[in-house]
Amino acid sequence: MKFHIIAAKDLKIVMRDRNALLMLFFIPMVIISVAGLALGGESDDIQIDVLIVDLDNDEVSRGFVEFLEEIDILNVDMESNEFAARDMVKNKEYGSLIIIPLGFTESVMMGHDTELLIIVNPTEESFNTVVEKIVEGYASRISTNVVVVKTASAYGIPAHTEEQILEIVDTAEEFVQPPPVDVIIESTTSNLVEFSPFTQYVPGFAVMFLLFTAVQSGAISLIKEQEAGTLRRLVTAPISKAEIIGGKIASTFIRGFVQLTVLIYFGHVVFDLDLGSDILALFVLIAAVTMASTGLGLLVAVHVKTVDQADSVSLLLVMLMSAIGGSWWPLSLQPQFMQDMAHFTITAWAMDGFYDLLYFDQGLAGILEEVKWLVLMMIIFFGIAISRFKFE
Amino acid sequence: MNTDVIITVENLVKRYNGHTAVDGISFEINRGEIFGLLGPNGAGKSTIISILCCLLEPTLGSVVIDGSDIRKNANNIKKIIGVVPQEISLYHTLTARENLAFYGKIYGLSGRALKSRIAALLDMVGLTERADDLLEGYSGGMKRRINIAAALLHEPSILYLDEPTTGVDPQSRRRIYDTIQDLNRQGMTVLLTTHQMEDAEKLCHRIAIMDKGKLIALDTLKGLLELVGESDLIHVLAPEILPGPVESIKRMPGVQKVSLDDGNMTIQLLRGRESLVGIIDILTSSKIQVESIYIKEPDLETLFLHLTGTKLRG
Repeated sequence: MKFHIIAAKDLKIVMRDRNALLMLFFIPMVIISVAGLALGGESDDIQIDVLIVDLDNDEVSRGFVEFLEEIDILNVDMESNEFAARDMVKNKEYGSLIIIPLGFTESVMMGHDTELLIIVNPTEESFNTVVEKIVEGYASRISTNVVVVKTASAYGIPAHTEEQILEIVDTAEEFVQPPPVDVIIESTTSNLVEFSPFTQYVPGFAVMFLLFTAVQSGAISLIKEQEAGTLRRLVTAPISKAEIIGGKIASTFIRGFVQLTVLIYFGHVVFDLDLGSDILALFVLIAAVTMASTGLGLLVAVHVKTVDQADSVSLLLVMLMSAIGGSWWPLSLQPQFMQDMAHFTITAWAMDGFYDLLYFDQGLAGILEEVKWLVLMMIIFFGIAISRFKFE
Repeated sequence: MNTDVIITVENLVKRYNGHTAVDGISFEINRGEIFGLLGPNGAGKSTIISILCCLLEPTLGSVVIDGSDIRKNANNIKKIIGVVPQEISLYHTLTARENLAFYGKIYGLSGRALKSRIAALLDMVGLTERADDLLEGYSGGMKRRINIAAALLHEPSILYLDEPTTGVDPQSRRRIYDTIQDLNRQGMTVLLTTHQMEDAEKLCHRIAIMDKGKLIALDTLKGLLELVGESDLIHVLAPEILPGPVESIKRMPGVQKVSLDDGNMTIQLLRGRESLVGIIDILTSSKIQVESIYIKEPDLETLFLHLTGTKLRG
């Protein structure tokens, strides 16, 4: 077998190519770092500016303000003028404004319906969602008081004095703390790892750059050999066509495998990315993703005629797969039909596999499904490509 | 030169998508011979080389190389042939030595044998001192010499060269001629395709002339030139040549063919020197501004024009 001679030659050419090395390692490392820090960062660093107008300024409303002030991620500021406060949110000085209406405390105490108003700036949507959830949670607790007082009245227990009301509410709160119906979230694995943005961005961008290596560079390397006539020359030598294609596949695979391994390890060393407990499974997944990508590269090479065509077709494929397959954002953020479509791509199965290993720590058994689909893709890509491969 | 046959081509036909590139060609090449396939671009020469080096399957006909049928024993044939493609089929970001080592390993060489073979070939092509430079820094002629060396690593008994001197400077061309002649003196059979008359005239023992996929003549240089007889070629270069004087020249005694090509008129005629004055008279009386005019002795160009009515370089 002589395929290793071709693979070794290709790898030597890559090692000499400074641009190829930059694209293999340096640029992906920079992009992963920038994306991880810019789009995610440490959760402790997140601070949401919230403005409050307390028109009530009574016991329950002050309790609510104190509750908000104790939340680490919120920067709470007070404003007495409602119109000025609305302008500040409009001018993006604050992401959201909470208005506590006059009589809020009395309504809660007397069991009357009341409301808390949140005014949001739509450009701060992700932070607004956090503020909304916090306020809804508090409102739900306050609602307990209203319900208790209403229920007492409905059964003919009058609560005429403030003292009596507080007594009833205190008793009710004793019953709801802890809540009688607790929600317990149980993971399919007991080894759930703490989520960090790098759990998404390290494998996401690493897979994208692997696709650039295996699909784009792999296809271009083959087309260049066709254009230069070196492939024709090899066919005139006593070496089989299978060995020639095998050599080209081997060199692309080795390049991609090393690249993906180095980038994941980079994430581990620099950004403390948890690699899970099954390193063998990680290598199996990396190998499966790289083989499927190498197959796609060969498939592109047999369907294009020039280096320029290979370049643009593979660029389009890589960007599409990265966008819909979950390289740039978690797949779960996409609508269901997009998630279904995404699973026609290498990226989606790769990202599912990396989540299973790096976040859920499911080991080899957890990635069998992903590996199965990646191997199936590899077989289909290689099957079509090799049957159509022309040395002329 | 041994006279036993090493390559036999019989009724060879190659068709691609309805186009016939090679149309029923037969010839034999003797062991130790330098055999030239001469013809313009598109004549079918490269297709024949591609078939002979097992790159393409013939549509019809048979090819036997050193006793092996090309359809049945391609692997045996690949071991005894060396192929120098028309393009520089080398890796430009590797050194000359690394390129030769790569092709040597493909042919099964290794270790000391490979190293000494590379050293001998670098010496032969005169590039020992540049052996460890990247090929991208080489001139076109130097690359072509390494291109030839890469085909010789396994000491083949037959060497195919496809347009070996295309785009090279005169010094490199001379060096390539010397290399081919040295190899032939050592007993190597050489088949070269070319559209350059000089290659065929200086190197080949026998020349096959091809046009539009057909073999139109095959003989030694001397034998081929005898086909032309005593014809000369007169070349006239003028910015504009009108049809009237062309017709007058065609009617002159001894004129066999006249061809026009973008301000160039080529006249094939018997005893050219005697008719030269008459031709100049016709041109000057028609007020044609002649930039140059010269007579050429019979050569392969004359022969090609004689056989096909078109110029070889056309």
